[in-house]
Amino acid sequence: MCYHADMGHYKGRVIEIRLDAGGNQEALIACPQEAIPQAGQYLHVSDLDDPEEVLGVALFLTEKSVYGFWAAPGIPNLWRPGMNLSLVGPLGHGFELPREVQRLGLVALGETVSRLMPLIGQLGQPHSGVTLFTDLPLPRMPALLEAYPLASLLEALEWPDFLAIDLPIEKLTELRNMLGLSEGSRLTCSAQALVTTSMPCVGLAQCGACAVPARRGWKLACEDGPVFDLHQLKW
Amino acid sequence: MPKHDLTIDPALMNAAGSLGFSPDLHSPIDWSRLGAFVTNPVSLTARTPARGRRFIEFPGGFLLHTGYPNPGITRVVRHYAKHWHHSPVPVLVHLLAGSAEELRMMTRRLEMVEGVSGLEVGVDSDTSVELVKALTQAACGEYPVIVRLPMERAVELATEAMNSGATAISLAPPRGRYPTGNGELVKGRMYGPAILPVALRAVHELYQMSIPVIGAGGVYAQEQAAAILAEGALAVQLDSIFWCRAGYSVFA
Repeated sequence: MCYHADMGHYKGRVIEIRLDAGGNQEALIACPQEAIPQAGQYLHVSDLDDPEEVLGVALFLTEKSVYGFWAAPGIPNLWRPGMNLSLVGPLGHGFELPREVQRLGLVALGETVSRLMPLIGQLGQPHSGVTLFTDLPLPRMPALLEAYPLASLLEALEWPDFLAIDLPIEKLTELRNMLGLSEGSRLTCSAQALVTTSMPCVGLAQCGACAVPARRGWKLACEDGPVFDLHQLKW
Repeated sequence: MPKHDLTIDPALMNAAGSLGFSPDLHSPIDWSRLGAFVTNPVSLTARTPARGRRFIEFPGGFLLHTGYPNPGITRVVRHYAKHWHHSPVPVLVHLLAGSAEELRMMTRRLEMVEGVSGLEVGVDSDTSVELVKALTQAACGEYPVIVRLPMERAVELATEAMNSGATAISLAPPRGRYPTGNGELVKGRMYGPAILPVALRAVHELYQMSIPVIGAGGVYAQEQAAAILAEGALAVQLDSIFWCRAGYSVFA
């Protein structure tokens, strides 16, 4: 289980809703600093004003704010500013970017690039660079960031010394082809993947709904992930 | 818990598959509100997760198709028995078997384990009356046995289960199918408030038949649990309410 004695239960409030470049909703959530998830971790969020809500949602960081944080898309359509929220977490394992990384490759295969954006500010080395590979509409671009279509990823694979991938679980089996790797061959750089999938039990039940095929059996995105070292997974 | 005695006080417990293999004392669950803990389904050998899409929401609930993944009874006992022994509430182990022989082997294995207070036997929605009888008989021994029947067939199967030695009947989520956006159908167990009317009817009919029943399905509020108890249930099993607000909302 991923629950720990120091895991928090907080109250929050939706302050603002905005659209990302692809038209997906992001929400500014006011909350205590200790509730803010790291890049790739998630918060389990429920609508306190809706007693009939069946399940909450998992929200990821896209940008910190003085009020709390901007949550990446995955925001329910009915959410509005002023809503009161129950926040549980932060939960799961997020990205762990090694300090020595100088050339960071971001690969967005899901419906948004937002979940990868917090990594840009985590590069510790001077003169480091970030390249985003995606076919999605581009976000407001920090000066550090260059962007290329996914088709160019294959040619550029020698460049990054670390790859961070936003990976919907249904694309796991396509990943090898996308990276142009034959069976048994490996990436030359370290890589971590944020595997996005439904996590209905949020780690309370080990229900198996978010199971991810791994080199040894399977792992649960809700408690073993949702960020995995790519070499742990069967892909 | 003495042989074949089943007292669940308070009359609330979790349903199999809703809170894992042992009570997690670090989780937000207030264990003093529960009268028993039911483990995730455990099979004789390991089961892997179901392939394909495992979750889809529909108005009033959601559908879940997990395959009840578990590492098999030997590893479950090795890993969790110490937690069962120190559990703040009685532990019932939920067993999943395709045959009476499998169930007999698991039951024997558990009779040597401290901290187990009873068994719950899972029955698939297409199980024959004969197999229900055989499974129930195979599970009967040192522990009280709850037979979890498919909600939609509980009235049909309950009498045979009770005549075969069951202590009580509980209700498994009904199964259903739901279309995805691309025209495929996802099949699985149904959860959510939409299930409550079906659960209430099943409890009512079983109580009328003098069957001891533990109600389950679609309970998201205290008054809904009270309604199931008022229909004659011995206790109420809660399922996905634990996952809403990650366990903080259990009738808070």
